[in-house]
Amino acid sequence: MNKPRVAVFDFACCEGCQLQIVNLEEQILDLIGAVNVVEWREAMSEQSHEYDIAIIEGSITRPEDEEKLWLIRSRAKILIALGACATLGGINKLKNNFDLNDVKKCVYGKDASKPHLYTELTKAVDEVVEVDYKIHGCPIEAKEFISIIRSLLIGKKPEIPEYPVCVECKAKGNPCLWEYGQLCLGPIIRAGCNARCPSAGHRCYGCRGYINKPNVEAAKDVIEKYGLSVEDLKSKMVLFGSRQDNTL
Amino acid sequence: MSVKKLSKESLLNWVDEIISTKKKVYGVQKHKDKTDRFEFAPLDSTADLRLDYDVTVLPPKKYFQPPTETLVAFDLKGGYKAACDTEKFIVIGIHPYDMIAINQMDELFQKDNYDSHYMTRRNNATIIACDVATASKDIFASSMKTATVKKGYDILLTDIGNGYVAEAATKKGQLLLDKAKTEKASDADIKARQAVWENNEKNLNKHPLNCQPSEVSELLEKAYNHPVWEEKAKTCFSCGSCNQVCPTCYCFNVHDDMNWDLKSGDRKRTWDGCLLDGFTKVAPDHEFRAKKSDRFRHRLYRKGKYVPSKIGGQIACVGCGRCIGACLPDIANPVKVYNRLLEDTSAVKK
Repeated sequence: MNKPRVAVFDFACCEGCQLQIVNLEEQILDLIGAVNVVEWREAMSEQSHEYDIAIIEGSITRPEDEEKLWLIRSRAKILIALGACATLGGINKLKNNFDLNDVKKCVYGKDASKPHLYTELTKAVDEVVEVDYKIHGCPIEAKEFISIIRSLLIGKKPEIPEYPVCVECKAKGNPCLWEYGQLCLGPIIRAGCNARCPSAGHRCYGCRGYINKPNVEAAKDVIEKYGLSVEDLKSKMVLFGSRQDNTL
Repeated sequence: MSVKKLSKESLLNWVDEIISTKKKVYGVQKHKDKTDRFEFAPLDSTADLRLDYDVTVLPPKKYFQPPTETLVAFDLKGGYKAACDTEKFIVIGIHPYDMIAINQMDELFQKDNYDSHYMTRRNNATIIACDVATASKDIFASSMKTATVKKGYDILLTDIGNGYVAEAATKKGQLLLDKAKTEKASDADIKARQAVWENNEKNLNKHPLNCQPSEVSELLEKAYNHPVWEEKAKTCFSCGSCNQVCPTCYCFNVHDDMNWDLKSGDRKRTWDGCLLDGFTKVAPDHEFRAKKSDRFRHRLYRKGKYVPSKIGGQIACVGCGRCIGACLPDIANPVKVYNRLLEDTSAVKK
């Protein structure tokens, strides 16, 4: 079998997820040995129009980005959304909660109306083109990235957890952060991070997106039990959860 | 084997010696992050050991069935090699209800398919159990008849105030106990231990079950379509926390991790949970317990009926109360459900 040609592209993001790939250290050699990397701006200068797998990092915020993404989709056999900006719209999607003109003024001040700073509402990659697989997280988990790439290389459907963060958090022996006054999103957020934040004492911020059927009724009950309001919960969900669609 | 008494000081000296001479020693201590809770962890210093603990966040099952373990290393170019932990280890401080859970697992993992991974670890373990000295906030071991234990451990320690009564139950335990500075337990010591047992059998009961645990199986016989499953499951997060912290939940998922050569890899198993959406998903994406209420009911049937039918009628809930504390919407308490069913069936009888 010929090695699949892989191209990595970035849109609106901090490029931290690509950095996680670069940070694979000795395994980066295994990765580039197993695939044929034909374009990856962050790591090499070559470019190509021919590839089998396109990895897309970042959210889509400009009309020209949409056009570029359509083109990539038309060329790729498999398209993967990489990281929270690509899978959910990420933190960039916060702006969709406000008037866009206010947002521009707030960010760019007197330059807000300059044409090259024009942006529209933020979209996740799957709001523009069809996405085959999502690699979640802000940033992604290197271990999960490797496992998904290896699965694709042997023609197996990658296993992306359908269960919430609590599963991994409990298995690590962590006491529940709700008992310590933190409004943790673990019960409604997709696992796969090995409960990275709760294990370090921070609540789950929800960077991997909601599980397929988050129980809103239960969430309401629980926030009441802990003397909190729906508004408290919403304020914690807005960071990654603004206008969020299905995440699998 | 004789019953001994250790002063508090000679217990500490004995544990010191165990730590300095044995490779792998685990013991109950304060949780490393949340110091108001307890956990089983590698015991580096005798001073960390807390035999007065109430309950640990996770049960000691993690030493016998770890959250993730490699079963087999395989190579498509030829052959496979079973992976197995073969190191001997000691666990200090297992409470009777957790010991009974391990006894049940021992039975289950030897039945049908003998599970060599579990059993190798089990046979390599030396267990120093201890009677409960502090009741946890949700314990109901008295209701489940698991407040005291008579087998499974190598040594049982009971705090009687002015020292510990220690009884070795196996040769392995006797050899270990021989290293301690002990005296013969007096009649008064034995009586004091009996008093601890009697007290625990009555008073470790924050959630009293209104029937005998042996009657739960029959109770469930007629409860399959009871409204309680739907009512409770309405607020279930399907987070599986009740499964993960349960000492008698042993379901696992198996998956393969390929290496970069794409020819060799590891077959691993990880803890799974029947409350999780996807637990019953099979090819091609068919899910036979897709409803939350079906999954909620399954857990309580498994504890109260299915597993008991395999292990001579013992109820597979040992009353540790961990699921109660772990369940955010507070629906996991098995006693509440069983008592509710009792009320309803006795109302029908009237």
